[in-house]
Amino acid sequence: MKFRLIKVFMGKEIIVQILLSVVILFSGISCSKQSERNTHNLIYWSSNNTQEIQFAKYTVDEWNKAHGKEKISFQPVPEGQSSEEIILAAVVGKTTPDIYSNMWEGNVEDYARAGVLVALDTLQGFKDFIYQRCDSAVIKEVTSSDGHIYQIPWKINPIMMIYNKNIIQQLGLSEAPKTYSEYFDASKKFRNENTDQNGYVKKWFGYCEVQVTWWQRFFDFYPLYLAASGGAPLIKDDTAAFNNKYAVEVFSFLQNLYKKNYFTKERLSVQQDVFLSSTIASRFTGPWEIAHSEKFKPEGFQYGFSQMPVPDDHKGPVYTYCDPKNIVIFKTCPDPELAWKFIKFMIDKENDLKLLEYTNQLPRRKMLDEDPFFASYFEKNPLMLEFAKQSKYVRGTDPYPHLTEVFDIISQEYEESVVYGKKPPAEAVRDAAKEVNLLYLK
Amino acid sequence: MMMKKKLVPYLLVSPYIIYFLVFVAFPVIFSVILTFNSWNIISPMKFNGINNYIRLFHDQFFLKSLVNTLIFLVIHIPLQIIVALFLAVVLNQHIKFSGFFRAAFFLPVIVSGVVVTIIWQQLYGFDTGLFNRILTALGLGRVGWLIDPAWAMPSIAIMATWKNVGLYIILFLVGLQTVPPHYYEAAELEGANQMQKFFKITLPMINPTIFMVVILSTIGGFSLFIEPYIMTGGGPLNSTLSAVLYIYKQGFFFYNMGYSATLGLFFALLILSVIMIQKKLIEKD
Amino acid sequence: MKKILFYILLTLAALAFLYPFLWMLVASLSPENQIGNLTFIPTSLSFDSYKEMLNKIPIARSLFNSIFVAVCITFGVLVFGSMVGYALARLEFKGRNLIFFIIIFTMTLPFQITLIPQYILMVKFGWVDTYWSLIVPYLMNSLGIIMFRQYFKTLPQDIIDAARIDGCGDLEIIFRILWPNSIPALVTIGILTFMSSWNEVLWPLIVIRNEHLMTMPQLVTLFAVGGAAESQLGVKLAAATLLALPIVLAYLFFQKYFIQSMASTGIKE
Repeated sequence: MKFRLIKVFMGKEIIVQILLSVVILFSGISCSKQSERNTHNLIYWSSNNTQEIQFAKYTVDEWNKAHGKEKISFQPVPEGQSSEEIILAAVVGKTTPDIYSNMWEGNVEDYARAGVLVALDTLQGFKDFIYQRCDSAVIKEVTSSDGHIYQIPWKINPIMMIYNKNIIQQLGLSEAPKTYSEYFDASKKFRNENTDQNGYVKKWFGYCEVQVTWWQRFFDFYPLYLAASGGAPLIKDDTAAFNNKYAVEVFSFLQNLYKKNYFTKERLSVQQDVFLSSTIASRFTGPWEIAHSEKFKPEGFQYGFSQMPVPDDHKGPVYTYCDPKNIVIFKTCPDPELAWKFIKFMIDKENDLKLLEYTNQLPRRKMLDEDPFFASYFEKNPLMLEFAKQSKYVRGTDPYPHLTEVFDIISQEYEESVVYGKKPPAEAVRDAAKEVNLLYLK
Repeated sequence: MMMKKKLVPYLLVSPYIIYFLVFVAFPVIFSVILTFNSWNIISPMKFNGINNYIRLFHDQFFLKSLVNTLIFLVIHIPLQIIVALFLAVVLNQHIKFSGFFRAAFFLPVIVSGVVVTIIWQQLYGFDTGLFNRILTALGLGRVGWLIDPAWAMPSIAIMATWKNVGLYIILFLVGLQTVPPHYYEAAELEGANQMQKFFKITLPMINPTIFMVVILSTIGGFSLFIEPYIMTGGGPLNSTLSAVLYIYKQGFFFYNMGYSATLGLFFALLILSVIMIQKKLIEKD
Repeated sequence: MKKILFYILLTLAALAFLYPFLWMLVASLSPENQIGNLTFIPTSLSFDSYKEMLNKIPIARSLFNSIFVAVCITFGVLVFGSMVGYALARLEFKGRNLIFFIIIFTMTLPFQITLIPQYILMVKFGWVDTYWSLIVPYLMNSLGIIMFRQYFKTLPQDIIDAARIDGCGDLEIIFRILWPNSIPALVTIGILTFMSSWNEVLWPLIVIRNEHLMTMPQLVTLFAVGGAAESQLGVKLAAATLLALPIVLAYLFFQKYFIQSMASTGIKE
């Protein structure tokens, strides 16, 4: 009997060998995550944007030179669908870094409530530091519902209107349109001049993405809403706060643009860059567009930046959305005080200047446009000065969870009402608010 | 010796048993449990009673996704059968280069749906897409293939038909070849013409194949995901939101694991019911 | 005369199925600004789209990933499928019918119900962003088992008896006796498994977030949908062309087997 059993298992041998080699191959190929921790004290993840990687390398090297015993090691967040997904996967898999600098402000509340972030206001010198860096409106913006602060504001990219200077001149305007009426008139004129004999419009004055993806609202509804309302919140006290005349005006404005065919419903973005090819005269975008435009613009192409358009009766400064990315410390960090010391270094004045120089992204600190320390940079980069001036009047997101779903709900109503004109703006905004309230009840 | 003989089958089958318990039985059971909870993966699970079910029955997006699937099937299945059967009948005759034609029709079947979708997204372009350029050249108006809510799902159905028709041509060919030629000869002797031969002999004999095509197309329609994901993201106006896309969105955009599992469970039961009904209807024939 | 017309129409029909792929190939080799006007003949040839695409995404790595995963899965399905199929076809044991019904049940179970819980399993096992999650859930294939069972049933008992007399154990019987006699089944199941693994996209989208582990269709999908392509069309078409290439090449050489394999899924019903 023994011999028979051996014979049975002999046949298995080959298979076992193959399986073993496959297992070994797997373990070798799958990335080893723990090796970092053995050589350095803390792990810092930066975004995987090329310039930001350069900046991170610079700051980490400088720190390590000065702090031999308390080294930091950095790596760019692994490439993937989006860095938000990667971070979520890391949180779920408990493989988070100690410090992460690319956290979208809107995600922080979800993570804070899940208990994975360190409350920064419990760290030494935090309060003084943040009051020196930011004004009270910003501090309020990043304070969580439990009164603690789980993020330190780092950098922003305000949304403004990029416009084609040549086309503005051709239309006989002295400057880019500032109000809804001016925008309408410019759109009408431009469209009429660019319609062929069959009635097909070849060029448009502006373009907003018609796809309903929730984050597209950062480039249309949300900055326009902030501009119209002077920076009003979307969510307050766990209820929708946007069921007001400003949101309705924004919806109306955009709905009319589509109704009158001043904006196209075609997904222009699946074709080539339509702003640089002068197919559209303007769009709502951020400072990153500068590098892109300089790289790809055709000869003689001139562009500038202007504020988001506002309702005709608007008074006061024009706000906008700034897509803030902030720095957080995960609870898995073995030494939060040390992490905080590094962060303080990374965002001090000298390094903020380096941030500007390396990445052309604005540090979120008060008086950026007036501080003489940064003057030389803005002299060399006048277009960035527009954004710096705008940075006095920017908002991020409200400190509440589920913001992705909130923007998705708004996007659904946006598509139905604004793009397809099937619902009056007031009703759409009201329905969106209702849905959002249901969301927060759960 | 007796012990070995008894053990061996179980040893051979054991990998499957383990697999079944871990990847089938457990998920099904866990899925049901999940439907009574709410969970966003990073926080602990919270008991939620039947709230997920209540939400499902008020969910206009889920309802829309089911309607969309129906629209897809209603267009895709008949179109598929007609085109595939027609081409199969044509190829079934003795023609030269039938191998080449068969291979051409079959090519889209094996190519990834991702490739097909990317190509067709361009063909369907409103201004520069080939189809609209042809229509304009013929003096007809342009069609908003992917931007008109009425056209978007039909456009996907057409593309899906194009992609899969090769497979069904092959299946129909196999079915057609099971028809004994002397049936046709006997019918000709009685004076039947082409149409009569087709409807009275061919069709009834390939009924099983037609049935299979219907079932396979239905399952395919219920699994629709990557085409709307790439082409339209579920728009415009959620007209191409498929159920799987919505389940994916709830589970992996918003991380509503409990609700997503509820949708999945409900949808799976729906699919099983539909297939059983289809089977019953066909068996009646 | 009628015949010529007939062949012309048939050729047009065939072209309708080939043209989109040819367009994609030609467009990916054209300069970006001419793609919009392209019908068939390119005005100039340019490899820029390919160069740019190679810079932006690790397409070669994803090709490796897809091949690695597909090979592992195919191997697993063939090995395990024949083991279980053999047991069901040729061995008598208690519970045989029960297992058979379980397999049929698994085959009819829609994936929509197991999707979320299987993802959670991957999270709990720590397999997210590893090859394990891509391969292990696919190692067993009910259809494959059924097909093996069907095929093994048709093989004559004598070759098995002869092997037993020689003292072969069951595993040796499967791999040294039955496999060489089951080439059609191996080819069919192998092709079907490889193809469906190659084209699988939803599951990788769920369990893999790290770009270096993504499979090829997944990488191309995200490239087409995301912003990395910077709104340039040519690079997306270049990526799509590369994605189609391996399967199309295999198809050109092994056409017969592809068609036969897929046809037999229907016959089995």
